Amino acid sequence: MFGWNGKIAKVYLTEKKIEPIPLGKEFLADYLGGRGLGVKLVYDLVKPGVDPLSSENILVFAAGPLTGTTCPTSGRYATVSKSPLTGTIFDSNSGGSFGPELKFAGFDGLVVFGKAEEPVYIEIHNGKISIKDAKHLWGKNTREVTRELSKFGRVACIGRAGEKGIRFANIMNDYTHTCGRGGLGAVMGSKNLKAIVVKGNKKIPIFDRDRYKKYFQDITRLLVASPVSSKGLNQYGTAVLVNLINYMRILPTGNFRFSRFDFAEEISGEKINSVFPIKKTPCYACPIACKREVRDTEMEIPEYETISMFGSSCMISNIQTIMKANRLCNDYGMDTITAGSTIACYLELNGKQLTDEKLLKLVELIGERKEIGQELSEGSMRYARVNKNPDISMQVKGLELPGYDPRGVLGLALGYATSNRGGCHLRAYMIGPEIFGKPKLVNRLTFSGKSGLVQVIQNLFTAVDSLVVCKFALFSVGEEEWANILSAVTGIDFVSERLLEIGERVWNIEKLFNLKEKFSNKDDTLPERFFQEDGGVEGRNIKKDEFLASLLEYYRFRGWSEKGIPTKEKLAQLNIQM
Amino acid sequence: MWREISKFGKKMVQCGLAHSHFGNISVRVGNKLIITRSGSMLDEIDENMVVELDLDKPSSFDTIASSETIVHRHIYKETSALAIIHAHSPFAIVQSMISSTNLLIPSDCESKYFLHEIPIITGGVGSKELAQNAANVLKDHKGAIIKEHGPIAIGKIVEEAFVTICSIEHACKVKYFADLFSRK
Repeated sequence: MFGWNGKIAKVYLTEKKIEPIPLGKEFLADYLGGRGLGVKLVYDLVKPGVDPLSSENILVFAAGPLTGTTCPTSGRYATVSKSPLTGTIFDSNSGGSFGPELKFAGFDGLVVFGKAEEPVYIEIHNGKISIKDAKHLWGKNTREVTRELSKFGRVACIGRAGEKGIRFANIMNDYTHTCGRGGLGAVMGSKNLKAIVVKGNKKIPIFDRDRYKKYFQDITRLLVASPVSSKGLNQYGTAVLVNLINYMRILPTGNFRFSRFDFAEEISGEKINSVFPIKKTPCYACPIACKREVRDTEMEIPEYETISMFGSSCMISNIQTIMKANRLCNDYGMDTITAGSTIACYLELNGKQLTDEKLLKLVELIGERKEIGQELSEGSMRYARVNKNPDISMQVKGLELPGYDPRGVLGLALGYATSNRGGCHLRAYMIGPEIFGKPKLVNRLTFSGKSGLVQVIQNLFTAVDSLVVCKFALFSVGEEEWANILSAVTGIDFVSERLLEIGERVWNIEKLFNLKEKFSNKDDTLPERFFQEDGGVEGRNIKKDEFLASLLEYYRFRGWSEKGIPTKEKLAQLNIQM
Repeated sequence: MWREISKFGKKMVQCGLAHSHFGNISVRVGNKLIITRSGSMLDEIDENMVVELDLDKPSSFDTIASSETIVHRHIYKETSALAIIHAHSPFAIVQSMISSTNLLIPSDCESKYFLHEIPIITGGVGSKELAQNAANVLKDHKGAIIKEHGPIAIGKIVEEAFVTICSIEHACKVKYFADLFSRK
């Protein structure tokens, strides 16, 4: 088999049993890998109504057919499970080098079942898998665990947040890279699984090297020519967005009460570059190289989303404080978006202003589940509900919204509402067409034409999450280039439409999973604030009738009923068995 | 200033010098340059379709500007230009592909008088190489053709750059047909 290894491993922690499973070429061609493969496995193996933190939930780690090749931005893998934060099916993917190493070790993925009696870690070494004692690692945070285990290979692990079942605990790999959202670190912790270490030296076989070389050059050329990837992300990291998004009046400020932050410049990419000596720490096979740290101290430079949540949304203008909060979250293994947004919700509820010291203290209390941190560690939706003010939680389906105010980007508003994993920008990054003009600049202040665009981009992003390559490459590289290089790698004839159909298939399976979990069209909405308030720009509140009309149009584009349920015809067309 | 860009953006499309979202226009104002945004169409320019950038210092706003911003910035730094237009006009592109030298000599009287010669330069889209090559030749020429890509012209005002772009396309068209018939 080319591209894939054609093999995953099932690891049964309760029984301490390991079972390698071969995967057929036809099955892999339908689901690719990463998110697609993980979603298919979770849909098939997790019964409706299962408690996400029980031993009945499973946790999938999946690489894709391009992972481990030299294809630009292909150093990624996905984790998939049922989320303890949202209750939806949930995939989260990450860069670094862990994903490629999983492929080099001979596997396309790993499915973790059950719960170990005592803390363990899984070691994978050139096709051999063993379950090892991790009692000495329990209670330690991610940096320490990574340092201790990295002598055996690439490490993906949880910190104390995952152990304590914090609903937005993440999985950190290669220390600074993260499957950040949805609390899959808590799922890992609920299984008493502290880490996975992987090492291998297998080469990924490529079907047609000459064609591969040509398509590799095509993709590289497009990435170099794109100012977003080669000048923006490469020079400033994702912090490139701070000034730009503030200028567009869509920077969440004070828990989305406002859309512009007076001190944005102080927490911007430009400011970071002027204050700190920067070292780039790119993911495997990535020419964009957006990941950065401070040279000498190795302090991570926070991503844009982290800056917007701990910064403008919590009204903190000291970049050093945001960096410390980011470091704390990385160490405990917690999603910075949900952590920052939940703190912003807490501040609004209590009418409080934050000092730099208090922010750091709150993050620590959440990580330890102590005092007010106990309540906040449940995420903003549960926190606001318990405190009888659910409307001030800025979330969709339980997942806190990231750093773009939907009132100023209406395609993204529809994308947030219809996302299968909740309030997420990465299901369809409408900032591409609505702000960057990629692939074409569209009017960001209208719903007109957005329904069709959103669902096509959702399908594309789902396919891309299944390859698995980085979404930042999509600013310049389209489905045609990905289909070409995938064909050259696997020897299977992929074209753009086939790639989009795979995305659509996976999207529909996710939808079916959520319907079985009792989610409905009523959940395809936005926090009431966005319909009622204008965020400081007169008249910019979202008109509910326009939103609902756009949502109905979206369902029609998807071939779903007016209630947002996939029709039998649509499922048959996508070859999905109920 | 966006109105001036908009006016000539429309003319560019009307004259067949650019189409779809190809081509870009900028003007220099003090130490700023105002340039069309990436993904915008030249016949649909309004105040939201241009972006103001610092001439000396790239910033995060470069990411929403035309992908040729690096070229415009370099030309402004190295010349006294106050406006730049880059088009994708077909005859200029064809001539850059079939010319055996990197200097095109117009055949028609008007172009000979106005342009004298048209340099053909190389460099990838938005590359430093292209920026340097364009700035070098525009120190002593009104316009040039980027090989397999399209003409670029400078002016004190946008109209001047527009006239040069039109002249280059006219010269290339006339030369194309003249050469075609002379071969017969």
